[in-house]
Amino acid sequence: MRKRSCKIEAIEVEKVFSADSEDEVHALGPLDLQVQDGEFVCLVGPSGCGKSTFLRIVAGLLNPTTGRVDIGINPENPTPISMVFQDYGIYPWKTVEGNIRFGLEISGISKSRTKEVAGHWLERMDLTAFAGSYPDTLSGGMRQRVAIARALAVEPEILLMDEPFAALDAQLRQLLQDELLAIWQKEQRTVLFVTHSLEEAIVLGDRVIVMSSRPGKIVLDQKVPFERPRSPELRAQSDFNEFKNELWLCLKGEVEHYLERVNSVEGKIGSNDEG
Amino acid sequence: MKGEAQTGRDLLSRVPTLADTSPRKYNKRRRLIETFLAVGVPGSLIALWQLGFHYEWIDNRFYASPWEIVSSKKLREAELWSEIWTSVQRMLKGFFAGSLLGVLLGVLMGVSRLLRAALDSLLTALYTVPKLALIPVFVTLFGFGDLPRIALIAVTVFFFVWISTMSAIMGVEDGYREAALSFGANKWQIFRHVLFPGALPQIFVGLRIAAGVAVLMLIGVELVLASDGLGALIEKGRTLFLPELTYVGIAISALLGLTFTYLVRILGRVLVPWAPEDQTPNQN
Repeated sequence: MRKRSCKIEAIEVEKVFSADSEDEVHALGPLDLQVQDGEFVCLVGPSGCGKSTFLRIVAGLLNPTTGRVDIGINPENPTPISMVFQDYGIYPWKTVEGNIRFGLEISGISKSRTKEVAGHWLERMDLTAFAGSYPDTLSGGMRQRVAIARALAVEPEILLMDEPFAALDAQLRQLLQDELLAIWQKEQRTVLFVTHSLEEAIVLGDRVIVMSSRPGKIVLDQKVPFERPRSPELRAQSDFNEFKNELWLCLKGEVEHYLERVNSVEGKIGSNDEG
Repeated sequence: MKGEAQTGRDLLSRVPTLADTSPRKYNKRRRLIETFLAVGVPGSLIALWQLGFHYEWIDNRFYASPWEIVSSKKLREAELWSEIWTSVQRMLKGFFAGSLLGVLLGVLMGVSRLLRAALDSLLTALYTVPKLALIPVFVTLFGFGDLPRIALIAVTVFFFVWISTMSAIMGVEDGYREAALSFGANKWQIFRHVLFPGALPQIFVGLRIAAGVAVLMLIGVELVLASDGLGALIEKGRTLFLPELTYVGIAISALLGLTFTYLVRILGRVLVPWAPEDQTPNQN
């Protein structure tokens, strides 16, 4: 059994947009969270609950307003964290191979090694035949494969995924979930995965964290009780659905809460406190 | 636990900065720095220029100092203001005529493939002709009045506006067009509700660039082909060996360009409130 240690530690993290002005928005927190090394953690919650905001804070794209996030990394790794975005992120002006090589080139890895790694991921993601194509000529599913390959090619210690499959149709989504599951079970990286889909969260995650509506706090932090390695057939098991319903009951309240407020404040999503 | 767990590792920390904890203070400070730079950089260059005169690094027989320009008697003569007015009128007439034609032809060519096929290469070829080289042609066409000068400015402006309008219309996303088509919109309705407003932000970028070019062309035309106006003033300073006059003219044309571009920019912001701030030159 591998030794587990704390990889990401969030301490009283809060994010307030346009703080100290009249239209400040309390988006997140306070939120405390510990993610162990090699753990796959899924964040679910209603729209605007700050789950993506938290991901961006971990990625270093945003800073928290108060609190801190500490991330333990290997100092030798040039790209300790990489991120897969929902739709943007892969460059239309680079070929599929060029996109996959991007992160490697940025971190200054040798040409020959870059070629080798890119080749490996092209094959792994079934993209070899499209190595020279531009993203514009690919389907949505293919493009997201490119994005995942690009993120994984740099061998990050932490992989951040912001609703990576949200724009895909249901079948494709399931296919890519299964692929990701297979990859992760082989490579075991720390993953923070933001999604709207409970099913997705349960199939993939070791832990599912349900967040409240704005300002996002953790209302439920639940270990997923299904053994690894998981197979795609898991979705059909009766206890899978039981577990899903259990989480849904918790999430439903938050979604209703969110809707209530959207309706009552009529568009202007205020910062009235709750929780 | 933390310390032990992370031996032999680095700790990346995401913590708040001033920009996060008190953005108002941070923005205030940033705006202050920006204003300081916007005023300070040109200000110190002018100061350096003045200093150059003071210590005679610059030959004051051929060049004028900022102080000489600002305190020039010429500035207080009514004659100067009538020269400026003459120039401004030429520029405005040329700019409006050129822009109007540019938008019109740009729109037509943007929507019609056939028109594009017919005119694209011809106009692109003409675009590259230096417009001042057309002076003899224009004088023959329009006589010796103000018309050839205005026409030259108009032609120059036209090309800039035409190209940006055409590419703006062609660049409107298919999705917008399709949404209108699905409601059964006819060609005119598609143009009025989708293509034109969709292209407007980009058209204004073209107009702004053209505004600067109009001033450029104005001075160029007046240098060669006018006895009045700012360009003529600059030239007079050279021939009469009055550097002060030349530099007054140059300074005023620079200010004119700044003001005019700024006005077009404001107009754009009023007429196109949905457009994001663009990054072309002459901001602020």
